Amino acid sequence: MRIVLIGFGNLGRGFSRVLLHKARFLSTNYGLEPHVVAVVDEYGAAVDADGLDLKKLLKTAERKGAVTGYPGAEKGRQALDVIEKEEADVVFELTPTNIKTGEPGLTHIKAAILTGRHVVTSNKGPLVIAFRELDRLAAKKGVEFRYSAAVGGATRVISLAKKLLTANEIHAIRGVLNGTTNYILTRMSKEGAPFDVVLREAQELGIAEKDPTLDIEGIDTACKITILANTILGMNAKLKDVKTTGIKRVRPEAIRLAHEAGFTIKLIGVAKRGLLEVGPSLVPLGHPLAVGGTLNAVTFETDLAREITITGFGAGPQETSSALLGDLIDIHRSLGG
Amino acid sequence: MRARLEMELEDVPGQLVKVLDPISRFGGNIQSVLHQRERKTPRGRVPVTVIFEVDERAKLNRIVATLRKMGVLITRIGEREGAVKTTVLLVGHIIHTDVRDTIDRLNALRGVMVSDLSLAMGAHGEESAARVTIAAADDACAKAALSRLVRISAEKKLLMIKLLGEKE
Repeated sequence: MRIVLIGFGNLGRGFSRVLLHKARFLSTNYGLEPHVVAVVDEYGAAVDADGLDLKKLLKTAERKGAVTGYPGAEKGRQALDVIEKEEADVVFELTPTNIKTGEPGLTHIKAAILTGRHVVTSNKGPLVIAFRELDRLAAKKGVEFRYSAAVGGATRVISLAKKLLTANEIHAIRGVLNGTTNYILTRMSKEGAPFDVVLREAQELGIAEKDPTLDIEGIDTACKITILANTILGMNAKLKDVKTTGIKRVRPEAIRLAHEAGFTIKLIGVAKRGLLEVGPSLVPLGHPLAVGGTLNAVTFETDLAREITITGFGAGPQETSSALLGDLIDIHRSLGG
Repeated sequence: MRARLEMELEDVPGQLVKVLDPISRFGGNIQSVLHQRERKTPRGRVPVTVIFEVDERAKLNRIVATLRKMGVLITRIGEREGAVKTTVLLVGHIIHTDVRDTIDRLNALRGVMVSDLSLAMGAHGEESAARVTIAAADDACAKAALSRLVRISAEKKLLMIKLLGEKE
């Protein structure tokens, strides 16, 4: 199977490492032999129709910070050109998320679908902006469009709902969907430290970004709620439809008062018909959503199975690659592999 | 909610255990049992009152149905006032935005009472936090109290933190 990677940052590299590491596993268990025929970053493209030497490419990229150091790489060649001209089966769209325009991921995904490529992405931007359009376009062109890595990282919540809960009607989805804020709330709860202090600590550890706005204002969680509402509940929600409150005002004293009454405070996203909401909530101690650290957890409220909760790591290149690779295996199988 | 079941049992051994079993089996948390053996009813039976907590009406219905199927004579089913309790956290300038007014406006609703309020003061000029327990006669009253508190919080710029999945 010929693969194109668009984006070669932490995730693109992490996924390449996983492809190397799991090569024999994939071949033995699924008869799947992925060849990465092109990798594109913002500086250019490395292309080889017979498959790139991923080890060499990773080394070059680590040393030079770009794929253009790879022998024969083309400086300045754009992703769109590679998507449209290079023969491939699956395009992985792994560029950074832009929740306002969805770009450049949106253009990449559209072009890939129109060229007849299957698409796997972890990019929330295009899903938040144009899920319906992309989903329809893929159906029309008869290609697979997979995005299980976009929500929950390693915890493939979308696949759980779509594959394992098929007999159920899903009434509501509730979850802890942002590892950064969950880490901050967990530390505040354990240490009684104020928000600012814990945020700085999280930034030093690389858990929070330099500009943590999207996380702490609840916007990242709202993006995921939008995606879950559209992909699982069949809604046509936009980001602005989600009533969003962040965690900035949560004080250690508030967490203490919650504890005294048997609760903890979590940033919870809710998606159900008539209600799309993100905000701090009181969660009973010992409840399946009361997960600590950077963990994510999602509860589906269904008619037959009642409540089902999945917990796992919501971020990290290796963990997210587990979802990306899962999508690739699904595509391979759906093609009769 | 807190439920109260009044029943009449036959005066033979093992009757009380028989009726308590389905109550706890279907999720009722038994608070008290009043078994008045000396006060026989006109039918010559023993009156028993059981008070228990259940978190859903569906469970109470199931308990009652099961008891009836077993042939237990239920003479009265009651729900206690203030049976629905909910907890809410508030963060903001709680005192300076007139906490008395906040409580009064909740208490003004029918079947609603603020039964507990714990306050943690912030440092000078900083926001405070409060835990408010609201007792309501039933689900509808609790819902009314929460939606009034949403309005008060918006007006007084308080952050309101509700229970997971409550009255959405």
